[in-house]
Amino acid sequence: MSETTSSKHVSFLQYKGKYKGILGWILSTDHKRVGLLYLYTMLVFFSLAAILGLLMKLQLIAPGYTIMGPQTYNAMFTVHGIIMIFIIVVPGLPAVFGNFFLPIMIGAKDVAFPRLNLASWWIYVIGILVVLTSQFVGGWPDTGWTFYAPYSFQTPANVLPALFGAFILGFSSILTGINFVVTVHRMRAPGMSWFKMPLFPWTLYATAWVQILATPVIGITLLLTVMERVLGVGVFDPALGGDPILYQHLFWIYSHPAVYIMILPGMGAISEILPVFSQKRIYGYKAIVLSSLAIAFVGYFVWGHHMFTSGMSGRALYAFSFLTFIVAIPSAIKVFNWVSTMYKGSLNLQTPFYWATSFIFVFMIGGLTGLVLGSLATNVHVHDTHFVVAHFHFIVFGGTGFSFMAALHYWFPKMFGRMYDANWANTGWAVFFSGFLTLYLPMFYLGIQGMPRRYYDYLPEFHGGNIISSLGAILMIAGAMIIIVNLVRSSRHGQKTSDKNPWGGRTLEWETDTPPTLENWDEIPNVTEEPYEYK
Amino acid sequence: MKYNLTGILAFLLTFPVMAQTEEQPYDPDTEIGIVEKLDEYVPDDIYIIDTEGERVNLVSLLDKPTALAIVYYRCPGICSPFMTSISEVADRSNLVLGEDYQILTVSFDPTEGTNLSRTNQNSYHMLIDKEFDPDGWQFFTTDSINSKRLTDAVGFNYKRQGLDFLHTSAMIFLSDEGKITRYLHGTYFLPMDLKLAVVETSEGKSGPSMSRLLSYCYSYDPAGQGYVFNVTKVAGTVILFIAVLLFLVLIFKPKRKATN
Repeated sequence: MSETTSSKHVSFLQYKGKYKGILGWILSTDHKRVGLLYLYTMLVFFSLAAILGLLMKLQLIAPGYTIMGPQTYNAMFTVHGIIMIFIIVVPGLPAVFGNFFLPIMIGAKDVAFPRLNLASWWIYVIGILVVLTSQFVGGWPDTGWTFYAPYSFQTPANVLPALFGAFILGFSSILTGINFVVTVHRMRAPGMSWFKMPLFPWTLYATAWVQILATPVIGITLLLTVMERVLGVGVFDPALGGDPILYQHLFWIYSHPAVYIMILPGMGAISEILPVFSQKRIYGYKAIVLSSLAIAFVGYFVWGHHMFTSGMSGRALYAFSFLTFIVAIPSAIKVFNWVSTMYKGSLNLQTPFYWATSFIFVFMIGGLTGLVLGSLATNVHVHDTHFVVAHFHFIVFGGTGFSFMAALHYWFPKMFGRMYDANWANTGWAVFFSGFLTLYLPMFYLGIQGMPRRYYDYLPEFHGGNIISSLGAILMIAGAMIIIVNLVRSSRHGQKTSDKNPWGGRTLEWETDTPPTLENWDEIPNVTEEPYEYK
Repeated sequence: MKYNLTGILAFLLTFPVMAQTEEQPYDPDTEIGIVEKLDEYVPDDIYIIDTEGERVNLVSLLDKPTALAIVYYRCPGICSPFMTSISEVADRSNLVLGEDYQILTVSFDPTEGTNLSRTNQNSYHMLIDKEFDPDGWQFFTTDSINSKRLTDAVGFNYKRQGLDFLHTSAMIFLSDEGKITRYLHGTYFLPMDLKLAVVETSEGKSGPSMSRLLSYCYSYDPAGQGYVFNVTKVAGTVILFIAVLLFLVLIFKPKRKATN
């Protein structure tokens, strides 16, 4: 199985281009280097936002003032949300693994617009800097990551740079989306028809359309909020004839599809990993492709389920509730496909497989509790409680986060040409997974009990659940530290490998050198087989 | 590259200007809405009129944690759902109305008389199924001077429009000494919101509002909303047009031959 890299090939990590040192990275248009730039940026900000999350859970370990007051707590959950959503999970897998592997997996030498790709990363960094401005000038924003009107233009806190930063980050997302759509249409290798394309590129393609269509809506909305604050234009301000509910509509028209921007590429990565570690053809390839497109499409029409208690006509409520149930169907199809792929497979119990199966577990919990929220009567009961926080962390963190870690452990040897320490990786996964469940499961119970979200304080009857949850946070952070230290250390000092195909995959990235060369291929491959042809 | 860096620097330099706007003090003269006055005291010489037409000193009524609800009884908008919510939360809460806390509803419209406060008191008392001391939820009217002093003291800003008023709603919690300890904004409350506010008020603690979802009367400037929808329609059409165009170009424009 193993083929070794020819010595004349220079990997993209060693390649000396026009610029040297750090400039050779931040000015490189190589899609792989751009992917890694995103990875490093996200790692830094994930660590920061995770610490904020931990501090919030420590505040909630006991009722009343523990380590911070209400205003600090409000700022913490706002900044935690803004970083995690706009800087980490929205760019997420497409920015890192999409950039790195999309061209390789479709047999191309780079994305369609390499300079635009680098520009996307720069815009992303500028967006981050602008968001950070809000932290250092004039006090942290306290609106929550949703920036709901009218509070977002009334609060004296420094919301403006945060809004504008999120607006800029949206441009990065749109440009990446356009790049990927054109890349998939134009640059597939000869013989790679649409239905011979691997599933990860398929999900990137579906996601890219959502990025192109939905992101401008949030861009315009955030810009209108900036104008409302600075100029008082009266779009959302009721005192000037505006409508704050309109803000919620516009915000969720983007932000619900954004959940699919976050989760679809994760589903694609899982669909790559499971056949490899089951050594079995993916079950229902076309069903997974079509369900990805269906999720991307129907995902546009369900935003109203975030607003069941905001004031809408009964007919609209029924329609949004019904559509929410509809969107669960393609998600469930994928789960059936994944489980069926593993059924009677030759399972190879390695770290990526653990992450992938635990992804299915947490995604199922997140998905089923989503139906509780999509159903009108139960939604009213648990609206704005910890139940909602638990649900979206199971989907966004459990879904995107677990699939990200699965993808990182799966493609790590290809990306760095080194292997991580599998024992530490498995230990990290076990600690992280246990911590994750301990942290978020009690929050469902707290929500049903009636504990609202975004409160720095609570009644004594919620104490038990909060203690367990806070201890879970400590455990999860310990797991995250083991994982990060192991991967960072292994990327520099791990055992070297030039094995092209350490896991026995069948997709094109396992036919390039490890790590890949600058242009990935000496010759563009000619694709004759379907992507998951296991014997 | 030089130009790029200049552009980035120029861009970043604009932010202190924006931040300058942020640092300006919050305008307390907001026309409609509530400017929180936490930790301040309501003056001890405000007089309100009970359902029997007697003038009563507001602070003298504060012998337990008190939720103050400022409304006007003829309101065609949010006052009615607001008071219905108060009756619901009083009904659902395990706190005893009249013992653990009390509610004072005061009309800010000086033209309203005791007949209105009396009828409203009777109606809303009937919505509470639990047994409670009727003095636990009293209804009042005011004269124009005391109305102005009370609304200014608690930061309740409203605006007259024809016969009606543009205003928002909140339960405002006062301690025994008349200290403002918490605002619960909106027209819907959880029993837990109430309990937390009452507990903290009884301890003399205060804290900023946690839930600030505001509701407003919507009888204002419908023409403005038409303009808003036009913006969204135009933007939506442009986005869809560009996306469809991109898709058609990608489908129909022939592929250039790849070169190795």
